Amino acid sequence: MTTLITGADGYLGRRITAALRGQDLILAVRCADQTELDRKRARLARVADVPVVPVDLRDADPFAHVDPRPITRIIHAAALIRFDVSRDTAEQVNVAGTARVRDFAQRCDRLEQLMLLSTLYSAGRRRGEVHETRHDDTGFVNHYEWSKWAAEECLLDPPGLPVTVARLPTLIADDAGGAVAQYNAFHHTMRLYHAGLLTLLPGDPATPLSLATAEFTVDAVTALLAAPPGIYQICSGPVTLGTAIDTAFTVFDQDPSFRRRMLPRPIPCDRAGFRDLAHAARALRGGPLQPALASVAPFAEQLYLPKHFRTDRLRAAWPGYRTHDATALIEAACTDLIKRSFHVTAH
Amino acid sequence: MNGFYIGSFAHALGAQKRHLRESAEAGLLRSAPQDLEAAGFRWHHVCEPEDTAYDLARAAVAQIAARGDLADVDAIVYATCLPDGQTGSGPVRDVKDLMDFPAGRLQAEFGMSRAIVVGLHQQACTGVLGALRVAGALLATEPGWRRVLCVTADRFPAGAWYEQAYNLISDGAAACVVGRDPDVCRLLTVHQITNGGLGRADDDETVGTYFAYTHRLVREAAARAGLAPAELDWVVTQNMHDKAWQILARLLELDHARVWAPTLADVGHVISADAVVNLSALLDSGQVRPGQRIAVPVAGFGLNWQCAVLEVAR
Repeated sequence: MTTLITGADGYLGRRITAALRGQDLILAVRCADQTELDRKRARLARVADVPVVPVDLRDADPFAHVDPRPITRIIHAAALIRFDVSRDTAEQVNVAGTARVRDFAQRCDRLEQLMLLSTLYSAGRRRGEVHETRHDDTGFVNHYEWSKWAAEECLLDPPGLPVTVARLPTLIADDAGGAVAQYNAFHHTMRLYHAGLLTLLPGDPATPLSLATAEFTVDAVTALLAAPPGIYQICSGPVTLGTAIDTAFTVFDQDPSFRRRMLPRPIPCDRAGFRDLAHAARALRGGPLQPALASVAPFAEQLYLPKHFRTDRLRAAWPGYRTHDATALIEAACTDLIKRSFHVTAH
Repeated sequence: MNGFYIGSFAHALGAQKRHLRESAEAGLLRSAPQDLEAAGFRWHHVCEPEDTAYDLARAAVAQIAARGDLADVDAIVYATCLPDGQTGSGPVRDVKDLMDFPAGRLQAEFGMSRAIVVGLHQQACTGVLGALRVAGALLATEPGWRRVLCVTADRFPAGAWYEQAYNLISDGAAACVVGRDPDVCRLLTVHQITNGGLGRADDDETVGTYFAYTHRLVREAAARAGLAPAELDWVVTQNMHDKAWQILARLLELDHARVWAPTLADVGHVISADAVVNLSALLDSGQVRPGQRIAVPVAGFGLNWQCAVLEVAR
């Protein structure tokens, strides 16, 4: 059994590789040249001593140098994960790239599973209960979401392939200890609040958030490798936006330098208000507010679209499934962010 | 404070009216001119090199004097953001040189012989409202007093950027009188919030904290007057990015059509005076009716936030 992992050097790809250490793996990484490939090989060698091949999903035939015959599993983890990504770039990498993985999969005669790491937000603008089924197009708040939905469709449309779609939550820490090795919209937002650069809260405080650790998510992904193909939503237990903010500020208040500044807790604002703020902030020359807000704004719209993700299939397929205390996780992650003065280094 | 009135509004601006693009070319702005234009700014007023903040104050008070409204003043409350702006910049041997107090000069120049003087200089752009509050407090504690002159004046020092917290600045002054006799408006309340923890806030922090604090300020000020924000008939603001009050109006559930800052493009942000400039414009507009309630919320470095609530009396 040979598993090909795309995006193996990414935040999750590396952790999945570590979880599958000892198995027959081929790691696909994107690199500009031999120097970068050598550097990535050296880094991944510390995780697993397995072949590392260069694959750029923007190439016409990115797997031309990969032998399809031994491959029985593909975990497609490579993606551009940025909420402010342009439509063209998202299409090129996340959609066309997935189509190329699909084309390669069709050449793998022994293929037993093709797993796409997607996102819960491929659900787009829909509200309410979200089931572990294919989504129709109800609109999306950013091109990233659209591209992940389109990537799902790209794999689920043609019959015959053993496709597993794993829709992932927002990862805010490596593990329950709260260590943060990669920033995303959650951390950018917390940084804005901690710095006093934002006192508005985009979204409905009652909106549930699906936050999780990389550890939980990798456990889920590896469990799903033994599960039947299908769509699974990986959630470890929601927390509301309002509780998340209250929890973060409770942690911030323990920081003497934060406490001295007596910063107010943010007040909820409507969509148009937040859009106006983000628009006006574009003109704030060179300060930290503009880029941080730009990274948050394309996702903020989701905070007005409450969703309850069903996990029936996940729980049935993963006997080890346990809900996690999301409030405790936020507390741990925010404590770690303060300890590091919001400087994140990959580890 | 409920029994006091406010009126005799006047203001004076720096003599040179400049388009912001001209000032940008002269290196007086930090933001790109198109960004300030997108915020609604166009023109601002800069003093002639020899003019001082005191000259501006005197020009504003002279208008009140010319109307005959400067009689029986018992106190002068003089608010300034930059108290050192009107003194020399060389080394000081005799500290008396630092005590050339503008309120005393006004008293002497306009013959307000019985007026005592009070200075406010730690409330930044909110100082004029602090002056109203102090005026009300003085009248409340001095039953024999009838009228308090409130003045604010500032000019930026030569070479300074005419921009603060992304706002285009004008040199200018404003003045008004708080008294016991019926006048244009009743002064219902003045409310203040200070956060010294943000005393050295940079421009982005100032912008970032503006919304939550101003939201709280207006709610609390309205409550002191027995009102909900939605019951305010008008909100007269500082001249600042025109999106700011579009956002705040929604947060406060106010009709944005009731937010009044008509001099944004022509006058810019006059430190502590533009709220008075806008209030005068509203009172002169013919749109206000007796009994209407007006909130005047302002924010300033320090960080300070103040809001006056007035009721139109005539």
